[in-house]
Amino acid sequence: MDEKYAIDLEHVSRIYRRDEFEVRALDDVTLKVPEGRFVAIMGPSGSGKTTMLNLIAGIDHATSGRVAVGGEEITGMKERDLAAWRARHIGLVFQFYNLIPVLTAFENVELPLLLTPLTKTERREHVHTALRIVGLEDRIDHYPRQLSGGQEQRVAIARALVTDPTIVVADEPTGDLDAKSAEEILNLLTDLNRQFHRTIVMVTHDPRAERFVDTVYRLDKGVLIGVEPGKGGPARTAAAQAQA
Amino acid sequence: MKYVALVLKNLLRSKRRTILTIFSIAVSLFIFSALVSLPTVANQILSDSASSVRIACHNKAGLTYSMPEAYKQRIVATPHVVAVTPESWFGGVYHEVSDQFPNLAVDPETAQAMWPDWGVSKESWKKFESLRTACLVGSGTMKRFKLHVGQQIILRGTVYPFNVTLDIVGVMQGGSAPANFLIFRRDYLEEAAGRPGFVDNYWVRVDKSENVPQVIAALDEGFANSSAQTRSESEAAFIGSFMDNFRTFFRLAEILGFIVVLTIGLVAANTAAMSIRERRSEIAVMRSIGFPSGTILGLLLSESLIIGLLGGLLGCGSAFVVLRIFAVGSPALGPLSEIRMPPSILAETLVVAALIGLFSAWVPARAAARQNIVDALRMVA
Repeated sequence: MDEKYAIDLEHVSRIYRRDEFEVRALDDVTLKVPEGRFVAIMGPSGSGKTTMLNLIAGIDHATSGRVAVGGEEITGMKERDLAAWRARHIGLVFQFYNLIPVLTAFENVELPLLLTPLTKTERREHVHTALRIVGLEDRIDHYPRQLSGGQEQRVAIARALVTDPTIVVADEPTGDLDAKSAEEILNLLTDLNRQFHRTIVMVTHDPRAERFVDTVYRLDKGVLIGVEPGKGGPARTAAAQAQA
Repeated sequence: MKYVALVLKNLLRSKRRTILTIFSIAVSLFIFSALVSLPTVANQILSDSASSVRIACHNKAGLTYSMPEAYKQRIVATPHVVAVTPESWFGGVYHEVSDQFPNLAVDPETAQAMWPDWGVSKESWKKFESLRTACLVGSGTMKRFKLHVGQQIILRGTVYPFNVTLDIVGVMQGGSAPANFLIFRRDYLEEAAGRPGFVDNYWVRVDKSENVPQVIAALDEGFANSSAQTRSESEAAFIGSFMDNFRTFFRLAEILGFIVVLTIGLVAANTAAMSIRERRSEIAVMRSIGFPSGTILGLLLSESLIIGLLGGLLGCGSAFVVLRIFAVGSPALGPLSEIRMPPSILAETLVVAALIGLFSAWVPARAAARQNIVDALRMVA
């Protein structure tokens, strides 16, 4: 049986032009991520990790090649259609959380639902569920400034989850957190992947992330230089079985 | 409706800035609506008198030149004329020199027929005809000097070398009544002045408005070769000639009003640009989670529109109340005794407020709604 791919990049290049300079951020990258996986894209600064993530999330356009996400090709989509597509299929988590400071945790999580036809009551139920999943139901009326970094990132994850997206895309989700909070966030993302079979793509510098993910894609200078199994997926399952 | 809370939260993000912007718009629109009211009221007075059946007949040499009292009989005999009221300018002051308002002496027996639209009660007209020292006072002057019917007042003569003691018998408060005028009886003035037998102006009422040009021609032709030739004009033209003295002032008021609006529009645009620039990353986040550019633009413009409209309501509302309470006006403004704010100016000011709101935010909001998401997100990092 053919395996379904949540992410399918074929010969994707992304070239930026800055004044007279041309920067080849991604160079002919081909990558396929099966559905339901938790994967990490790793590499040094300037390797093209975030560029790849932006292309997957549909907030940037490839210069050449084909990008298909959730079985839908987004390469030639117009901005308006792409916005609607993002609202349906993508949950985004950022390094610096990017919560709206004037909105409470509840309102921040509710934000993507304003784009849906859900009623106010339905929206409230969804928000409560998302905040319960990330363990912050008791912080529902708190503003971002009243939360710790780890809690803010949990709210951001709840916001990414609340629309039940096809793929969760996380850009350095632990980059601004202390070790303990980073560990908690990685555990949370792993749980989401395991419990809800959500495909999660994470860009990270954090070497600890390898312990949690199924696969690690390594990039350098815009080129995919390696694909390695992580220690989180089958390896973790095997380790757990051996321990048992 | 689901975006209302979002718009309000963003408006209250920086309360001080929002309040200051609202107040600055309010102050500018207060000035704008007050200034623009002036020419609007003047034009309204002119259009109200356009269909009048009254003619002003004065000396061809100018308003300061008088005419013989005997002209009255000849004017009355002119076809289509139904009433003639001679009028003499007294030019008195109330207490101080600054307490000026137009005060004129008219013949009492035809005054009611001449000005039935001045809102004077029958009883007051009756007293005016029967009491030699009677006077009728405009509502603006009554309010200005806190006068009341039955009160006796003394006007100090500035043109004539004597004072007149007058009894207020009624108030002129109709829609077309001159709110700052005072009229008293000409027979009293004539007697005090030693019966010089001269008149400054004749008010002539004709049977139909379409006969006004014919009567004007007949009057001026009739007195063409007399010692005091006349120049007759419709009431609208007569008031218009007074207004002409203030045209430059009105034009200046309008220009100042628009300069004030333009200035505050630029200030509001700067404030909107700052506010939106500070939120570029948030806007990028909203777009990245699926908010279309049009929705973002709509949200940002709504915020600015609300600020503009609140400023507009506050500004023109307070101007409306202030002009109503204090009945601002001056004898120096001639027929414009009271500057009131017409409803059309209220509506016009609110439209201007909405336009300030929309245009001030249009450029930065459009740029923010269309910005490259990746570039904007990179600014956060």
